[in-house]
Amino acid sequence: MLEVTQLSKRYPTGRVALRQANLRVAAGELVIVLGSNGSGKSTLLRCIVRLIDPTEGSIKVDDRDLTRLSGRALRRARTALAMISQHANLVKRRSVLANVACGALGRCGDLRSRFGALPQKELDFARRCLAEVALEAQARQRAGTLSGGQAQRCAIARALAQRPRVLLADEPVASLDPEAAEDIMRLLRRLATEDNLAVICVLHQPELAYRYADRIVGIRDGAIQFDLPAEQAAAGAVSTLYTGKAA
Amino acid sequence: MVTADIARPAPRLQTESSGRRALKFLIVFAVAILFAQSLIVVEVKPQDFITGVHGMADILRRATPPDVGKIGTVIWPALETVDIALFGTVAGIIMALPLSVLAAANVTPARPLYYLARGIIAFCRAVPDLVWALLFVTAVGLGPFPGGCAVAVHSIGMLGRLFSEVIEDMDMGPVEALTLTGAGRLQVFTHAVVPSVAPSLLGIGLYRFDENLRSSLVLGFVGAGGLGFQLLTAMNLFQYREVSLLLLVTFVLVMAAERISAALRRLVL
Repeated sequence: MLEVTQLSKRYPTGRVALRQANLRVAAGELVIVLGSNGSGKSTLLRCIVRLIDPTEGSIKVDDRDLTRLSGRALRRARTALAMISQHANLVKRRSVLANVACGALGRCGDLRSRFGALPQKELDFARRCLAEVALEAQARQRAGTLSGGQAQRCAIARALAQRPRVLLADEPVASLDPEAAEDIMRLLRRLATEDNLAVICVLHQPELAYRYADRIVGIRDGAIQFDLPAEQAAAGAVSTLYTGKAA
Repeated sequence: MVTADIARPAPRLQTESSGRRALKFLIVFAVAILFAQSLIVVEVKPQDFITGVHGMADILRRATPPDVGKIGTVIWPALETVDIALFGTVAGIIMALPLSVLAAANVTPARPLYYLARGIIAFCRAVPDLVWALLFVTAVGLGPFPGGCAVAVHSIGMLGRLFSEVIEDMDMGPVEALTLTGAGRLQVFTHAVVPSVAPSLLGIGLYRFDENLRSSLVLGFVGAGGLGFQLLTAMNLFQYREVSLLLLVTFVLVMAAERISAALRRLVL
């Protein structure tokens, strides 16, 4: 489903943030990317959604190369990739329901949606997405009043409203307490298994990776060090990602 | 180990260098010199208050009590004053909004448009509203309309700058999140930017109305209608009791506008 080949990112300053990364994620798979700060994990995700333009390599979703797209074609292709980040990035003054329905904007080309309105059928679908993350009771609440865990679940519901094939999560539990973090990880696991989404999640907690991932990818200095099934990723190899010792 | 830590001299950062102290002294000295020269240029003479006290007392005596019998003739100019401020503020907001979007570095669609919008906003702001009123009186004649136009144009400058600053300071997270859903530029603007900044912009607009009401009083002095025009006429005719009535009405209007706009700002923010 998602295939990243020889993906590199070199900034104009000469710093190489990503070195020839290769990654394949199938539908229904949850891949967790581990690595220290500045190792290139977020750059990898941001390159995949083309928030950052990669210097070389290709990103294919269902055999469609995203690196060759721009403008309207890129916008259309992006609807297949949903991304959530450490901060839920909700519009705090809007309702939870409106925030979730905004996930559908990519497929709403009508005039009303361009001027702040949301189609009824997308609002109905947004309600179903909220039910999936157990947040339907908060639908009418202002997004700014949600707790950290609820806000993150709302962001996931917005991603689901997008009807994506691939879900990218950049440190989604970084600012949550352990219970809320487990809650989010269980949700991501369920979305991969039951909704058949390809999920890539960047984390800093190896213990969560061992518990929830199908595969663990280790990244250091912009290069992928290992890509192994969770049960085969040895604790020693993971710890070298953080200590800086050679694997 | 602890003893050694205590014995260690205080870090250098905590002590102020002599160079920095000299710089502070120089700044204070320069400000004092600037203030002293302003006293000379302004020709400050406190003794004039003592010699002019009789004249002021005479004016006060002739201005009391306010000529409340003329209240009927004051209502229309008062309404004109309020409406000059209302028209100027609303027209200013309508024109400042698109300009502020173009003039906000984080959402502007193109760099040349950014500089053009910034230039227009700066020009509208740099020319005082009284000068705008003089220009509009020359262009369209006496009356409240040139006053409303002057307030509107000056408001474009003031509101355009404040609006663009609010947009530039907004949290860009929701904008990025909606961009990633595949939403178009206009959709991102209406669904993420507008709901995030609208309450702040409304608050600024209300505060501007409050300011514009004061401005519209002064604009009457150059023939742009309203209470100011009445006030000038009454002063020229030495009708001080009417002047005091007009000042009283002005006070009531300004205080009412201040209270109402503050209450509305509390409501929306």
